[in-house]
Amino acid sequence: MEEISLKAEELFNVGGFIVTNSLLLTFIVSLALIIISLLLYKKISMVPGKFQSGVEMGIEWFLDLMHSTLGSLEKAERYFPLVATIFIFILFSNLLGIFPGVGSFTIDRHSNHVPLFRSPAADLNFTMAFAVISVIVTNVLGAMAVGVFPHIKKFLNFRNPITFFIGILEIVSEVAKIISLSFRLFGNVFAGEVLLTIIFFLAPYFIPLPFLILELFVGLIQAFLFAMLTLVSISLHTAAHEH
Amino acid sequence: MEEAGLLGQLGINWKLFLSQAFNFFILLLILRAFVYKPLLAVIKKRNEKIEEGLEKAKVADIRLKEIDGIAKDKIKQAELQSIDIIKDTEEKAKNLEQSLTTKAEMHQKELMAQIEKEHQRQQEESRKLVVKNAAELIRKFIVKTVELKPETIDQALIEKAVAQYETES
Repeated sequence: MEEISLKAEELFNVGGFIVTNSLLLTFIVSLALIIISLLLYKKISMVPGKFQSGVEMGIEWFLDLMHSTLGSLEKAERYFPLVATIFIFILFSNLLGIFPGVGSFTIDRHSNHVPLFRSPAADLNFTMAFAVISVIVTNVLGAMAVGVFPHIKKFLNFRNPITFFIGILEIVSEVAKIISLSFRLFGNVFAGEVLLTIIFFLAPYFIPLPFLILELFVGLIQAFLFAMLTLVSISLHTAAHEH
Repeated sequence: MEEAGLLGQLGINWKLFLSQAFNFFILLLILRAFVYKPLLAVIKKRNEKIEEGLEKAKVADIRLKEIDGIAKDKIKQAELQSIDIIKDTEEKAKNLEQSLTTKAEMHQKELMAQIEKEHQRQQEESRKLVVKNAAELIRKFIVKTVELKPETIDQALIEKAVAQYETES
């Protein structure tokens, strides 16, 4: 059985820049999404084909969901690219990570068999980057929506000890948000990968199939959850302060 | 490669972290430029066209109702006009009939007068012809009746008979 590593394994080094197996798969996912988007862009027309119709249906469904959460279509359209990209990127990463055969490729590195690909979300760098982006961007969007000073006042308010303490709690909650978002995604995907590795080792035929389906579902749910939590965070930060 | 401490144990590396973030932003920009913006524009344009079509359909419906109302009014007006025309025509026909009848009556009277005149003329001619032929006829009649010689018959007697016939006829 392969050695289970918490960290993404180093594959090669390009001028001092380390390329890990999860980063390689991230690049592949990005490349695949870029190619798909360029192919779609070439075929966009007022009378849509099957693929464009499917994408449009997905976009309209997601936009409706964001509209109902944010309470404004204009806001939903403004923040749609960020939330949708988070969802699509994490979803494709999760799906490609458990794609049959992806985990089978290995390379020899320092006399060890290292998997060539690793699910991007099974690397904390990926999940942490997304969580930090989510928290920073939602705060920036909040500051743009309600004004820089009113937004900062949420965290640093010296009007009285209570508001100051609430501000401290807000800062802690933002840090906790980074930790919870990144570790939730990482934990779910990494646990899934470990589970699949063990199941494949114990019973390679037929038995892993339900677990693969379960992991597909987990991958979808986690991507959706991450995007929704970012959306809710945007909604909270961009809402005008009533008190 | 790893950071020291807890972050290092978890495999967090700032270069990898930043490259993941950079990768995400690149993808975000590309998807925004090539997927979201054009598709949202197409969806918006299509929705606008649908709304425009619905609006036009609504306007057309209202116009249709107006035209329907106008058509009904026109039909009503035409009906009233036709009733007037029929009344007028009936009136004219009545007048024409009356004038024609009067003319016909006058013409009839004229004809009757002409016929009467002609009749009288013919009667007069007949009478004259009868008078003209009566003397000869009576002579023959008397000759046949009394079997007398014509030269013996009194001319005065014949004339008397003719005059008597004239007065009787």
